[in-house]
Amino acid sequence: METESMVRLKGVVKEYPLGKLKVRALDGVDLCIRKGEFTVVAGPSGSGKTTLLNMVGCVDVPTAGEVLVAGKETSKLDDRGRTLLRLERLGFIFQTFNLIPVLTAAQNVEFPLLLQRRLGRRRRRERVREMLALVGLEALLDQRPNEMSGGQRQRVAIARALVTLPGIVLADEPTANLDTATGMNIIDLMKTLNRERQTTFIFSTHDPRVMEHARRIVRIVDGRIAGDDGCGGAAERAEA
Amino acid sequence: MGLFLTVAVRNLLQAKRRTALLVTALAGVTLLLVLLMALSAGLTETMIRSATAISSGHVNVAGFSKNKPADAWPVLHGIEAIRRKVADLVPEATSLVVRERAWAKLISDRHSLFVSPTGVDYASEARLKEALVLAKESDYKKGGRDVVVGDLSKLAEPHTAVLFAGQAKRLDVEVGDDLTITAPTGAGRTNTLDVRIVAIARDFGFLSNWVTFLPRQDVKDLYQYGDDTGAVVQVYLPDPAGSEEVMGRLREGLAAAGHELMDHEPAPFFMKFERVAGEDWTGQKLDVTVWSDEVSFLKWVVTALDAISVVLVGILMVIIALGITDSMWIAVRERTREVGTERAIGMTRRQVLALFLVEAMLLGLAGTTLGGLAGAGVAALLDHARIEVAWDALRMILMSDVLNLAVGPGQVAWSIGVFTLLTGVAALPPAVRAARMQPVTAMHHAG
Repeated sequence: METESMVRLKGVVKEYPLGKLKVRALDGVDLCIRKGEFTVVAGPSGSGKTTLLNMVGCVDVPTAGEVLVAGKETSKLDDRGRTLLRLERLGFIFQTFNLIPVLTAAQNVEFPLLLQRRLGRRRRRERVREMLALVGLEALLDQRPNEMSGGQRQRVAIARALVTLPGIVLADEPTANLDTATGMNIIDLMKTLNRERQTTFIFSTHDPRVMEHARRIVRIVDGRIAGDDGCGGAAERAEA
Repeated sequence: MGLFLTVAVRNLLQAKRRTALLVTALAGVTLLLVLLMALSAGLTETMIRSATAISSGHVNVAGFSKNKPADAWPVLHGIEAIRRKVADLVPEATSLVVRERAWAKLISDRHSLFVSPTGVDYASEARLKEALVLAKESDYKKGGRDVVVGDLSKLAEPHTAVLFAGQAKRLDVEVGDDLTITAPTGAGRTNTLDVRIVAIARDFGFLSNWVTFLPRQDVKDLYQYGDDTGAVVQVYLPDPAGSEEVMGRLREGLAAAGHELMDHEPAPFFMKFERVAGEDWTGQKLDVTVWSDEVSFLKWVVTALDAISVVLVGILMVIIALGITDSMWIAVRERTREVGTERAIGMTRRQVLALFLVEAMLLGLAGTTLGGLAGAGVAALLDHARIEVAWDALRMILMSDVLNLAVGPGQVAWSIGVFTLLTGVAALPPAVRAARMQPVTAMHHAG
């Protein structure tokens, strides 16, 4: 079944200055990710997977090539345009959770909705409760991050990433700071959300146990795609 | 905005020690500013009160007469008509008082002193009766008793005088003593008049150095002025703030009534003799002034106090502003990942800027409100305590023997507003830096 392309990278190059040298973090990456895919970007440390997620997440722009997210070429957008694209279309899950420490779980989840200014107070609160219930934290609405375990914090981060109902959720090593059991729970939760809500998940990892759960694996080495299950093969791989 | 406030308040509460330090510093400077402003306002109020009690109305219609170009006599002919015209032009005046002005020498048995004898009609001087407080004998006489002697109302009798304590001390006189007054008259002769001291008043600061009160008729006799003469019509208003407007109205009205007017010069009458004597005209010209013109030579006190306040508070504020800037730099550095996260999940640069500015200005508002209210409270307490000023020199400068402070809600609100705004300005560089931060910093720690 032909599905809509959510992310497309064409010949993407990203170079960073390092003193007088230039380090090429991405070296001509071509990639296509479709709606509803559950994709792992795998590779060793320093391989370029975080840089790749930065490109897709519109938090960085390529030195050369094109990055299209939801049909928009990100390098042609200004800072505000990329910010709004992130707010409306993307959700982020970070390795270190990155919750705002002074806000409660509910306030952290409500944060992107307040930035969007689209929902009224009552509907906002309902959505926040719904999302925290979805990740199994309805009882911890008023807890602050420092009062929660690592797994609970990451669940709050997932609820925050999903609360705006984004098309794509980007997760940068989401299980790296969690014990194995909690990490697997988080992966299961993401898979469930992917299946039930058709949200596209792209996450980076170098943990082979996590990779086992992926429906599509894009392997990256030295800034180049070294292996890809490919567009269209994911569902079949997952079923298999 | 609710979200920004929540984040800002909680971040401030989280950095308890830093916040407490900055709030205390801001409160301290605001308190100091409010106190200095209260002292300046109190000084201005005292200045108005003493000036308008002793040597000036809120607005004055005075002038000079010249029989020959080199003359400069501070006397107006047809004073009753001028007084009536002034009454017509300023119907809101609470009172009009006609006085005589002069420059003469007071001679006691041992000493002499140049003063400006002011001729008053005691019956019409309600304001003067209220303002003058008689001094205790010990205030001007060595070994004197701690009792008040003398009677101000006897100024209604001819050949009497009321002195101030400082003058009595210098002349070495007391109530009941006689003085001789000598003054040059228009005919080139020097006239003398003997008067009895009927009361000695407490000093009023600078002004009480050279003002002495005599009955109006005595001054006229001394100078051999005619019946329908007087030096000044002093106009008292319900609100001194209207003085300038009334001065303008009087200038127009008196000119329209055919009087010649001198150009307005913000100086007391005794500083105009030389200028008038050098002018090539004869006859009579009216000079309309406001109270602050008559004590302009004293305004340096308020100006100096204000300048000291500005410099002192300015220096302290710069130090605190640097502290706030530094503190916000630390906050931005500490929360780099937080800012990156906020930017990554959709916060615009302007919103990040606002977030840090709201935080700084909340800090400013808390500190300045605390300091402003404390300053107002301390000023009110000090004023209420009527603290006696111990040093003569300071009494001269403050024009009062007690410390007067006047504080109003406007001054407090101004201090709070300006300092809160300054706090925001001080936080601007770190806030701009935070707003310019790239969201990629949030993801920088992994991969």
